[in-house]
Amino acid sequence: MARAPALTTGLHPRFHDRNPGPDGPRERDDPMIKSIPLALAVLAGAATAATAQETPNLTIYTYDAFAADWGPGPQLKEGFEAQCDCIVEFIAADSSIGALRRVQLEGDTTDADLIVGLDTAIAGEARQTGLFAEHQLDLDGLSLPETWTDPTFVPFDYSHFAFVYDEDVVSEPPQSFEELIDRPESFKIAIQDPRSATPGLGLVLWIKAAYGDDAAEIWEGLAPHVLTVTSDWSESYALFLDGEADMVLSYTTSPAYHVFDEDDHSIHAAMFEEGHLAQIEVAGVLESSPNKALAREFLDYLASPGAQAVIPTTNWMFPVVDLESELDPSFSDLQQPSSTLSIAGEEITANRDAWIDEMLNALN
Amino acid sequence: MAPPMFESRHSARASHLPHRPKRVIIASTLAVLIALLIAGLFANILVTAASTTGGTLRTDIWHLVRMTSIQAGLTTVLSIAIGIALAWALNRLRFFGRDLVIGVFAAAIVTPGIVVAFGMLSIWGRSGWINSATTYLFGESIGNLAFGLWGIIFAHLILDATFAARILLERLDAIPAARLKIGQSLGLSPWQRFTIIDWPAIRGSVPGLAAVIFLLAFTSFPIVLLLGGGPANQTLEVAIFAAVRQQFDLLGAVHLALVQILVCSLVILAAAARPPVPISTGVSTGQNWHDRGPARLLQWGVLGLGIAGFLLPLLAVIFDGVVADLADVLTRPTFWRAATTSVVIGLSSAALTLILALGLGLGRAASARRTLRLGLGLPVFAYLAVPAVVLSLGFFLSVRNLGIAPAEAAPIVVIIANALLALPFASATLGPPLEGLVQNKAKLIRSLGLNSWQQLRYIELPLLRREVGVVLALAFCFSFGDLGVIALFGTQDFQTLPLMMYRALGSYRSDDAAVIAALLLVATILAFIALPRLFERLLDARS
Repeated sequence: MARAPALTTGLHPRFHDRNPGPDGPRERDDPMIKSIPLALAVLAGAATAATAQETPNLTIYTYDAFAADWGPGPQLKEGFEAQCDCIVEFIAADSSIGALRRVQLEGDTTDADLIVGLDTAIAGEARQTGLFAEHQLDLDGLSLPETWTDPTFVPFDYSHFAFVYDEDVVSEPPQSFEELIDRPESFKIAIQDPRSATPGLGLVLWIKAAYGDDAAEIWEGLAPHVLTVTSDWSESYALFLDGEADMVLSYTTSPAYHVFDEDDHSIHAAMFEEGHLAQIEVAGVLESSPNKALAREFLDYLASPGAQAVIPTTNWMFPVVDLESELDPSFSDLQQPSSTLSIAGEEITANRDAWIDEMLNALN
Repeated sequence: MAPPMFESRHSARASHLPHRPKRVIIASTLAVLIALLIAGLFANILVTAASTTGGTLRTDIWHLVRMTSIQAGLTTVLSIAIGIALAWALNRLRFFGRDLVIGVFAAAIVTPGIVVAFGMLSIWGRSGWINSATTYLFGESIGNLAFGLWGIIFAHLILDATFAARILLERLDAIPAARLKIGQSLGLSPWQRFTIIDWPAIRGSVPGLAAVIFLLAFTSFPIVLLLGGGPANQTLEVAIFAAVRQQFDLLGAVHLALVQILVCSLVILAAAARPPVPISTGVSTGQNWHDRGPARLLQWGVLGLGIAGFLLPLLAVIFDGVVADLADVLTRPTFWRAATTSVVIGLSSAALTLILALGLGLGRAASARRTLRLGLGLPVFAYLAVPAVVLSLGFFLSVRNLGIAPAEAAPIVVIIANALLALPFASATLGPPLEGLVQNKAKLIRSLGLNSWQQLRYIELPLLRREVGVVLALAFCFSFGDLGVIALFGTQDFQTLPLMMYRALGSYRSDDAAVIAALLLVATILAFIALPRLFERLLDARS
C-alpha cells in the first residue's frame, strides 16, 4: 500500500512489523503435504497418533494481535511451557468473536482447548452456547474495576474504549460524540464490526450507555464519518497508521505502545465528555477439550503475576493484578476517563442483537 | 462466477454421430455425482442449522438484494459501455505494445479480486498516488475514493470492462473484409461505420456478456470484503460469509444463499437462449481502415484513459511490491509453503476441471437426445448459482458431520470446490467447439473406424488443444486467486497466497501484502498467457 514516507517512519512495530518472525506463532507440517501420507497411513492402519501422546498439546484460539509475534502470545507460550511440560499453540482466528464462531463451526472436531480474547460483553452469549467449562479457580486476588464472580471466564486484562488520534494530523480532537458528528464529512474514523470484534461491540454498548434511546441518532450522525467497518481491530488500526483515517476505535491504553516502543508522544486517546466504557478481556476452557486440567492450569497462569507482567507491554491493556512498580511508566502518563460507563451483563445479552441492528441500520 | 450461456440448439442432430454409449454413461454419472454432491452439501447445512440454537434471520434480505442489484447493474452497464468504447478504439488503432495491452486485458478475467482491491487503495486511497499528486500540485486532497459503492464499482470495472473489451474486440475483428471494403468505398463516417457495420457485429454478444458481468458483480466477494467499508455495502456473498463467520447464523446463511441462487438462476435463464461467451486469448488482427479526425482523437483518448484506469492500479501493485521488502518475504518458509499450496491446488483443480468439462462435454456432444443433452448441461449451471461461500460452508459442515476435522480434509475440499467453480467457464469454452467437431468429423471418424479412445487421442484433443490449454489456464488462475472457498477452510497451517495476503492486510503487514499481491498478479498473468501456449505445443508435438 502506498504510504506517505513521513508516516512510514512513524509506524509502530506492532503495526508495522519490522522483524516478523518467519512463521508466526505456530509451526506445523503443511497439511497439503501431510494429508496424503496421512490418508495412506489411516488406510494402512498405521498408528501415526501414537507420537502425539507423549507431550500434550494445548491449542488456544485467539485474535490476530494476541497471537502475533509482537503480541503476548509468544512470551506467554514460553512462560507456560517452562512450567507445564506441554506444547502451547496459539491459533489466530479472524477476530476475537471470530475465534468463538470458529469453535461453533467446528463443533466437537475443534482442536481448540481454550479461547483467549473474548470480553464481558460477549461472555453471556458465549456461555449460552454451552461450549465452555467452568474455570474452578479462586480469583479473589485480582485487581479489577469490578469484583469478579464469573464461574466460567477468567479475566486477563482491561482498558477503556477510546478513539485514538495523532496530534500531528488532528490538532484538536473532538471531545464528545456530538463534536465528532459536527466535524466536516472528510473527518474519517475507522471502526470495527460489532459482530466480529469485541471493540466493535464495545462501541455499540458505549454509545448505548451514553445515549440510551438516542443511540440510533448518534449512529446516523456518525455514519458519514465512518471510513470503513473492519472485521478485526488490527485492520482498522493499520488504516489509521497508514493515514487513511483520522481516528480509530481503540483503547485509552493504545498510546502507551507508541511511547514505549517508538518514543512517539504524538498518539493520544480522545477523552469524551460522555464518559468511557471499560472492556475486560476474558479467557475460557472448552468443554470439548481433552486437556481441561491443563487448560485450567493455563488460565491460572494467565491471571498470575508472571503472565500479567507480559500483558501491558504486549497487548497494551492494564493488567488484572497490581504490578506496582513493575508496570511500565508509559502507562502512568496515560490520560484516563473522568467517568466510567457500564451496562449490566444480562442487559447486554438480552439486547445485544437489537442494538447491533440499530447500528447496522444506521450505517446502511 | 460467470455463466457460460446455453449454446444454441442443434435441432436436427443427425443420427450420423458415432455411437459412443460409454461417453454418455460417463457424462451422466458425472452429472448425477455433481448434483448429488450439491444436494448433499445443502442437506448438511440445513441439518446443522436445524440443530443449532441462535439463527435469528435478522438480515434485511430485500435491502441487501436491492443494494447488490444496484451495484451489479451499474457495474454491468458501465462495463459494457466502456468495453464497447475500448474495443472500438483497439480495433482501429495500431501502436507499439498493442498485443501486450490486449493480452493483459484478456487476463483481467482471472486477476484475483483481492489484488485489484489492493491496487485501488494504492491509487485512490487517502494516501494513495492520486491524492499525493493532488496534494502536491494543488495542496488539496480529494479524499478516499477507494471505499464504498464507487470503490467497489471501479474495482469491478477494472476487471469486467476490460473483459468485455476483449470479447467485443474479437467480434469486431471477425467482421468480414468484404463488408469493410464496401463500407470504405461508400465513404461511411466513423459514426455511420459504427452503427451500420460494428454494432450489428457486437449486438449479439452483448446480452450474454451482460449476464456474465452481472453475475460476477452480483456474487463478488474479495473486492466487496475489502472495499465495501463494512455492512453498508455488501453483496449476498459477503453477507453469507458474515452470517457464518461473525454471527454463526447458519439458518440466515441458508436463506441468503437461497435468495442468491434464485436471483442468479433468473439471470441465467434469461440469458440461456443466448450464445455462450467463450474466453478469448487469441491474437487480435485489427483493421486497416483507420478513422480520421475527431473520431481518431477520441479513440486515442478512450484508449489512454482505459489503459490508465486499468493499468495504474496494477502497476501500483507491482511497484508497491517491489518497493516493499521483497527479499524478506521471499526468504520466509511460510511464504513458500503458501506458494506451493497455491500452485498444487491450482494445478489439481485445473486438472479436475478439465476432466469434468471434457467428461460432460464429450458425453453431451455424443448424445442425440435433447432432454439428455439438457440434463448433462444442468449441473454446470446449477453450480453457477451456488455461492462459493455456501459451497465451502456445505463442505465444511459435511466433513465435520462425518467426524473429520475440517483441517484434515481442507486440501481436497478446496480443490473440488474450485474445480466446480471454474466449470461453467470451462464448459463455455470447451462445449461449443466439441459439438462442432463431432458434427464435422463424424464421417471421418466412422470411415476410419476409430474407437472412442482413438477419437479422443487423434481427433479431439489435438484439434482442441488450444481450448484445452485455455480451460487449464482459466481454472488454474481462478483457483490460484480464490479467496471465497479458502476463507472458511484456511488455517495457519493451510493457507494459499490470497489468504496469506488477506491476513497480512488484517494484521498491519501491509508490506507483506504488497509483495504477495505483486507476485500473485505477475504469476496469474504469466500462467494465463503461458499455459495455453505450453499445452498447445505439448499436444502438437504428440500428434
